[in-house]
Amino acid sequence: MLQFLVDVLIRTSDIMLVAVGLSVVYSLVRFPNVAHVQYAMLGAFATLGLTRAGLPFALALAGSCAGIGLVAVVLNTLVFRRLLRSGSSIAMIGSLAISMILIAVVLGVAGSRPWRYAPTLSSPLQVGTTVISIDQLTSIACGVGCIGLLAVLLFRTNVGRSMRAMSSNPALAAATGVDGARVLNGITFLSGVLAALGGTMLGLTETVHVGLGSNLLLPVFAAAILGGLGNPLGAAAGALLISIAETLVTNVDFGWVVGGSDVYVPVTYVSAASFVILLVALLFKPYGIFDREVRRV
Amino acid sequence: MSSFVLHVATLGCIYALLALGLNFQAGFAGLLNFGFVVFAGIGAYASAILSSHGYPAPIGIAIGVVVAMAIGCAMAGLGRNLAADYWAIATLAVAELIRTVALNEDWLTGGAQGISGVRPLFPARAGAGGDLAFFALALAMTAGAYLLYARLSQGRFGRAIRLMREEPALATSFGYRLVPLKIKATMAGAAVASIGGSLLAHYMSFVGPDYMLASETFAVWTMVMIGGLGNSRGVVLGALLVEAIYSAVPFAKDYFDIGSDIAGAVRVGTIGCALLACLLLRPGGMIPERIRSPR
Repeated sequence: MLQFLVDVLIRTSDIMLVAVGLSVVYSLVRFPNVAHVQYAMLGAFATLGLTRAGLPFALALAGSCAGIGLVAVVLNTLVFRRLLRSGSSIAMIGSLAISMILIAVVLGVAGSRPWRYAPTLSSPLQVGTTVISIDQLTSIACGVGCIGLLAVLLFRTNVGRSMRAMSSNPALAAATGVDGARVLNGITFLSGVLAALGGTMLGLTETVHVGLGSNLLLPVFAAAILGGLGNPLGAAAGALLISIAETLVTNVDFGWVVGGSDVYVPVTYVSAASFVILLVALLFKPYGIFDREVRRV
Repeated sequence: MSSFVLHVATLGCIYALLALGLNFQAGFAGLLNFGFVVFAGIGAYASAILSSHGYPAPIGIAIGVVVAMAIGCAMAGLGRNLAADYWAIATLAVAELIRTVALNEDWLTGGAQGISGVRPLFPARAGAGGDLAFFALALAMTAGAYLLYARLSQGRFGRAIRLMREEPALATSFGYRLVPLKIKATMAGAAVASIGGSLLAHYMSFVGPDYMLASETFAVWTMVMIGGLGNSRGVVLGALLVEAIYSAVPFAKDYFDIGSDIAGAVRVGTIGCALLACLLLRPGGMIPERIRSPR
């Protein structure tokens, strides 16, 4: 049971930071940014590059977060806001182009082989029959801590209040003196920071490789859509739900369906679980499970 | 050299079929399909599986078309009450789901190894003659698809789906039912893409789950966007251009003596930059859609 909990938490922290970043920026810039998962990949590689340059890990992580935050702001200002004038679908295809370019850059610089931050694996802790490594603990703690900080930022500070005002009614927010451009840049920067952090944590628990972003694409979108795009804390809950489902699907005996026992879903279908959840969510609750508004689609 | 040009031209025609199909869905009907390549994958697998069981090629192609249209129908039905960009994510998920199935059901699809040794379409003509015959067939299919879509888009159906793209509420008020229109447009695109997939399977004599990678869909999207969303002629041009870039990279690799990772990076990066430049500088593509004036 504890092992199950640990598995769920590790997977949640993998998805959560990136999904929350995607969701928070969607509330201001209304298009699904496919390139957002590539920011995570880029962040993981930036941290890797800085540690290779001799910086200690914490400093490298901070540098990578700041760098990716800037990249997100620059791309948003130069590319996405221009494309959004022609519609959200054009902006989405543009984000596709950006993700191709980012993949190409990383593939060209670092190649396709997987990398690690430290040459040796950290020693695992054992609690009863449950095994957990220090890296995984760091990743979980970092994920939960960041979500806590984000909640405080959104609901207890002026920046968060302006941001929520802008997302629910931009015209009214502008009329009451909210500096739209500054809030937008701040939030975009924040989303880049979260993505870089999530990517680095994922690189810490797995490896750093060029497919890291693309592998995240569907689970992250599933989590963000499940929580309702634009609702950051919903995205965190969505990530938790997706992880529970992914972990459950391979651990539950489906024998009762066919009237036997020992019928398990093959492990190779784990990734399919999040796709199915995403499809079901889109079919029945397209605005997320926490949506209470009545609206016309 | 001439055989290389023939190879590029044949692949260009096959991808033009895919691009025409996607253009019908995205350009005319405004449906953002990010799982489009799955239709081609279905066609390719249907041809490969049936021909390995000894059925003649036309049966494989026909079954592929039927299955692809059924999946297209289900995919479009999924978008009953979704906004366009949400539907795009849903189609991406459908495509990944089908690819996962193809990757894991070894008994049917050969798993990650795929199915190799798909029989050629023209076994009687070996070598250059066979290649030429295949190119002629691919060219004929592309011309056929072009004419089919030209005919479909000029009629009442074409006007209805373009109206649905621009003003869905107006289309509804004119008495068009949007869901059946979406389903028909998706199925029309899926059928042609499936034929393209079948041709690809016979030409490469191989099918694998990699045919259905999301990056393949994005490549077809690039062809459509560079060529001109909503213009069949532009889309064919875009397909030829992107295919030419793809095929030129191996030469550059040998000429400059670079590694395969760099070559892959150059390939993806060139396409990405071309797509981005096109979106920013020439949003209509090389040959933009002509808006017809009332006569």
